[in-house]
Amino acid sequence: MTTGNPSYTNPKPCKHLADYKLNHGLSGYKSLQKHLKTAPHGKTSVGKPSTKTPRCISCDGFQGRLYFCLICSSVSCLDHNLLHTQSEVGHDVAVDIERAELYCCVCCDQVYDPDFDKAVMSKHIMGITGDKNGDESIGKRLVKRRRLGSGVVEELVDSKISKQLISMRDRRAKSCYPLGLRGLNNLGNTCFMNSVLQALLHAPPFRNYFLSGGHNHETCRKRSVDQLCLSCDIDVVFSAAFSGDRAPYSPAQFLYSWWQHSANLASYEQKDAHEFFISVLDGIHEKEVKSRNQNRDNGDCQCIAHGVFSGLLRSDVTCMTCGFTSTTFDPCVDISLDLDTSNFPPKNTANKSIKPDANSSMSTLLGCLDLFTRQEKLGSDSKLYCQNCQERQDSAKQMSIKRLPLVLCLHIKRFEHSPVTKMSRKIDRYLQFPLSLDMTPYLSSSVVRNRFGNRIFAFESGESDISAEFEIFAAVTHAGTLESGHYVNFLRLRNQWYKCDDAWINEVDEGMVRASQCYMMFYVQKSLYQKANEDWSHLPISPRRNMFGQ
Amino acid sequence: MRASVNRPPTPDVGDTQEKQPTLEEIINIKFIESGEKERLMELLRERLIECGWKDEMKALCRAFVKKKGRNNVTVDDLVHLITPKGRASIPDSIKAELLQRIRTFLVSAAL
Repeated sequence: MTTGNPSYTNPKPCKHLADYKLNHGLSGYKSLQKHLKTAPHGKTSVGKPSTKTPRCISCDGFQGRLYFCLICSSVSCLDHNLLHTQSEVGHDVAVDIERAELYCCVCCDQVYDPDFDKAVMSKHIMGITGDKNGDESIGKRLVKRRRLGSGVVEELVDSKISKQLISMRDRRAKSCYPLGLRGLNNLGNTCFMNSVLQALLHAPPFRNYFLSGGHNHETCRKRSVDQLCLSCDIDVVFSAAFSGDRAPYSPAQFLYSWWQHSANLASYEQKDAHEFFISVLDGIHEKEVKSRNQNRDNGDCQCIAHGVFSGLLRSDVTCMTCGFTSTTFDPCVDISLDLDTSNFPPKNTANKSIKPDANSSMSTLLGCLDLFTRQEKLGSDSKLYCQNCQERQDSAKQMSIKRLPLVLCLHIKRFEHSPVTKMSRKIDRYLQFPLSLDMTPYLSSSVVRNRFGNRIFAFESGESDISAEFEIFAAVTHAGTLESGHYVNFLRLRNQWYKCDDAWINEVDEGMVRASQCYMMFYVQKSLYQKANEDWSHLPISPRRNMFGQ
Repeated sequence: MRASVNRPPTPDVGDTQEKQPTLEEIINIKFIESGEKERLMELLRERLIECGWKDEMKALCRAFVKKKGRNNVTVDDLVHLITPKGRASIPDSIKAELLQRIRTFLVSAAL
């Protein structure tokens, strides 16, 4: 994956901009800088102190877009800026007053110059008085490089050795089913557990770790301290799933272990799959931390749960009065998204609009991600203390992703709680999602850049060591209501969809997945997905004691 | 050739420069200079983002650029493309809210 997104490389300047820079260098930008007005939420405009309303020199108009000539400071409107270049040779480059963007009057188009954007951004940074750390929040950051345990996410089996072994095919079950596909029996409303387990079983880096003996029962020190280790039990489930035996498996030992860990959730009542997912990762992490006697925070944690699922979220809180932004970073193992409920109905393939229906209109995953990274104005009743202004001010908050995990779990918040009626209900909106997801627009660099108008400026660095392209491999879907419903998992292995409904596994087509209501979507980095799809056919099935029994 | 005697008088140089500002212009200038226009623009931007209008326009522009090719599109093309569609698709609730604010301003400015 190349460093950086190609669409953010500097566009080539037009001939007129190049000529201007040759003749005038940066002097025009520097003198303009004095007149730049910066707004707290990122907009920049040109504010001339002399006249209150700028007017076109040709028609005296003040409506619409007005342009400020960089050489002679005269103002023209869109209709007359060509006149200006005709009367004064060389006065081609102007600045859009309302937007602080360069405009070439001859090419009739906006042009872009990194030096100009640097001048704009410097104004933003300087504009915040007393902000010693202003440079850090917007400029380059030193990023601690993630260190993964060596070999955790690498190939699990030395392919040379595997090819020497004779591969036996399991003749009982459909031989074209991928390895590891095995139904899970419902042990009493445990569909929530089965769906999430199926996703974990087929998350490439997670699977590779356990199947390569990443968690060794013997060396697992837990056996001596206390008998419980969620990782050991997961390891057993992995062995069972990948044994080649296609008869449905009952993960009873695992369920018991998990009950011990999450005592408050130990019952046969229906549970929330997302809650289960978080508690399993937590269980794996805790044992790891105890065993190594370390107290690392989640961001740097080496345990398999965090190594695979942990990412870093960036939260920017901006004071709406002075523009001072305070940035915090929080690790996360998943991203919870609100369903996007825009008033604009999506267009279907026949290019006609679908009428929006109150409860069952379409949302898109990209729309939800947009909503997640949108700047949200916090209400006047929740004013936050601004260090710069030294008092409580109206603020706005914006989330973005600083570091992507290997496996991205997107949790769709379908359960709505109404504080008025004190009742919760499920939101039955269909969610349109892509098979290939590019997370670049939701990274901190993109989001922060966007806030300032897509300026050519280094907003964040160190993000490009992990690719932003993801492929979906599992979708946990929910049918029914809050009180009584059923979870079903859809797995995408080698580009074929499989429906995993507890013990029953079927090949299905994509339409069936799209017709369901996705609750948790699991995306893995594209390179890992492709790797996972390639090498499995060479691997042997472990010989079992009895081929025909259970 | 005979000169026409009914030719209108040559306008003075002074006359062409001054125009009587219309009522609309006076109000507009007052609107801008008091900073109210700036505030309303901010409010409008916020509302249009919230209701998804901005995303819709962005999608339209993207589709257009995809069709024409990235290097064959100017900002002016995009402005001409989305202005009519944009104006037509603004939700009525937003129009009503802004009109109300403008009315309030006019009342206070007239005093």
